[in-house]
Amino acid sequence: MTCPSCGEPVGVDFAFCENCGASLPDRATSGSPAVPEVARSGEQRSLVNVRTEPQKAPRPPCKTCGGLIGDDGWCTVCGARASNGREHVAEQPTPTVAAVSDRGLVHVRNEDAFAVAARDGWTALVVCDGVTTATDSDAAAYAAAQAARNVLAAAERPTGSPDDRQRHWCLQLKAAALAADEAAEGTADAGDGNPPACTFVAAVADGDLIAAAAVGDSRAYWLPDDGPAEQLTVDDSWATEQVRAGVPRDEAEADAKAHAITRWLGIDSPSVDAATSTTTATGPGWLLACSDGLWNYCSDASALRDLVNEQPLEPLARAEALVEWANQQGGHDNITVTLARIGAV
Amino acid sequence: MADWTAQVFQNEYLPDGATDIHAIVTVTSQDTGQAGESGGAAEAVIIDCSGSMGAPRSKIVAARQAAAAAVDEIADGTWFAVIAGVGLAQPVYPPSGMAQADARTRAAASAAVAQLTPQGGTAIGQWLLTAYEAFRAAPATQRHAILLTDGKNEGETAEQLRSAVETVTGEFQCDCRGVGADWDVAELRGIATALLGSVDLIADPADMAADFQAMMQAAMGRGVADAKLKVWAPQGAQLLFVRQVAPTIDDLTDRRVNVTPLITEYPTGAWGDESRDYHVAVRVPAKAVGAEQLVARVQVEVGGQVVTQGLVKALWSDQSDLTTRINPAVAHYTGQAELAQAIQEGLAAKAEGDKDTATFKLGRAAQLAAETGNEEATQRLRKVVDIEDADTGTVRLKRDVSKLDEMALDTSSTKTTRVRPS
Repeated sequence: MTCPSCGEPVGVDFAFCENCGASLPDRATSGSPAVPEVARSGEQRSLVNVRTEPQKAPRPPCKTCGGLIGDDGWCTVCGARASNGREHVAEQPTPTVAAVSDRGLVHVRNEDAFAVAARDGWTALVVCDGVTTATDSDAAAYAAAQAARNVLAAAERPTGSPDDRQRHWCLQLKAAALAADEAAEGTADAGDGNPPACTFVAAVADGDLIAAAAVGDSRAYWLPDDGPAEQLTVDDSWATEQVRAGVPRDEAEADAKAHAITRWLGIDSPSVDAATSTTTATGPGWLLACSDGLWNYCSDASALRDLVNEQPLEPLARAEALVEWANQQGGHDNITVTLARIGAV
Repeated sequence: MADWTAQVFQNEYLPDGATDIHAIVTVTSQDTGQAGESGGAAEAVIIDCSGSMGAPRSKIVAARQAAAAAVDEIADGTWFAVIAGVGLAQPVYPPSGMAQADARTRAAASAAVAQLTPQGGTAIGQWLLTAYEAFRAAPATQRHAILLTDGKNEGETAEQLRSAVETVTGEFQCDCRGVGADWDVAELRGIATALLGSVDLIADPADMAADFQAMMQAAMGRGVADAKLKVWAPQGAQLLFVRQVAPTIDDLTDRRVNVTPLITEYPTGAWGDESRDYHVAVRVPAKAVGAEQLVARVQVEVGGQVVTQGLVKALWSDQSDLTTRINPAVAHYTGQAELAQAIQEGLAAKAEGDKDTATFKLGRAAQLAAETGNEEATQRLRKVVDIEDADTGTVRLKRDVSKLDEMALDTSSTKTTRVRPS
């Protein structure tokens, strides 16, 4: 087995590449104990450490100048930051679930991260977008997404009335956000004046029940083949707060501060009580969780559904095509697309 | 084991086309232990016994007491010697080499210093070479001296002094003290700076014993014998300067040793439990907006091991709200360095009778002292100039200024205050 990100050999039961830290295709997610139990904070940190501790294996050379990468993660010759191995990452744990994350065309690094789980009968999608203006946010995003996915993957599939089940998933999503926050905090260095931070969105589809939660401006959408498309999450952003306060949307979204997020995960986060929402699928469709690298170019739910449906049908090809489309629009940010097909294809 | 940390203060955001990055790196050492714990410690006390030390007689009396007070603080097991500075230096105790401190040797040394008498001239270079001879006789790697003088170096040529300082540089550290108003601040500062020590004025001989006691206590509390500052800058970069900015200003740039084409090294001497701030400035070719680069690794190395590291970064951005911020620590210490320079240049101009330059420079100093909240500098400046308006730097030279007040202003010009909490 080799890591799809960096090509280094990996063990068959590894969840993460020991070389670059990429999440490995979760072959065992369905019905296997490979996904850890809900991690206590110490264990979450150890997940983080998988990629931050000095590696025994030689690091790949600097992608800019070919120089040696130091233990601090920067080239010892030209000063370029070492690749985090996530320029382009793709996963397809089951035939109906796919995730792709890409650096885009402008940013130096991909600071987005995703983690997905496909269990028997239900699916969880998690996307975290590292805040570029804070230090080492890619590590925070990665740790947060993994921690949230681990909470959701370990959840019991609920029984009872649809209301009970939706309530169950909303609680699990809030717990996932808390675990993600704790993991993001674990990536901060003591005394860092600008600690790592990231957004959070998670969506679960359990049969026809759909639930989503978010902190920041990453989004989840329910895009049914027929019937109205829905944006499931509300951005924690300056623009959204202005609209809520009565400012016309066009005006608020045109402001330079429009995209400033008002909530995030990390050691300096103001609050991590994730807002949840639920819906019920009345027919087949696509559950989408994505970073703003995609929705910035297509924000409206109906337009996004049309865009998604123009792409190849197979989930991984479809996610790749959406990333490629965002790059064609300019690729100004990191782009992460996670898709789950709900119901018949 | 000593515990080291390095903290970096900078604005890493650069506007499009910008090339220069400034950062303050605060290095802190804790739990360093006592001097000599690894490799042994040695101390030399060098007392000026030139003829002028007898006039007034209170100077030599104070010097004897100060030497005894310093010897009292030398910990058991530490190697030491007391040297009398006359035309040629003479060992006071022991007769040659160094003795190992215990109750008996400390008492013998105190008895010997009580006999110090003023005679002969001032030849500081000779004194330093004699101390070096004594140090070489002792099996100790951590070497420190205290040197007292009351006069200018008139017993030998400037070239002899320069050559002696060069010989002993890197061999031992030396804190220098001047008593009275007849010594040369710039001369003694040059010696102390080269030998990684402090320089200060003892205006009143009565204060000498307490000062010597404090210096020796500090020396005994330096558990790390030798630390080096290492600075890496990327290929194509130019290291503009490396300057210690707290507790005192000391430009290290000219003391650099090139380790590799990308790494330079600077001696910092022994460390106790303390904090020192360094201002590092690097010039790199500008990169595209959105690009980032590591522009300096600032490391502390002890015994061949890197014990802490601070990373200085650059990130080119088109967001002017990010790129226009000046880091408060960088601004503060830039001001403090300019303050020290303005005081020194102003006093030098005044000594040469160039009143216009002196007024301008000391005016700028008054302005900077006020801006950076350096109360001590303001107080000392007031003894030399009348500050009419600190905001604009308008001052008038005082008519009758005591020489000691000028020297106090000069010697303390390199002492900095820490950044004011905002």
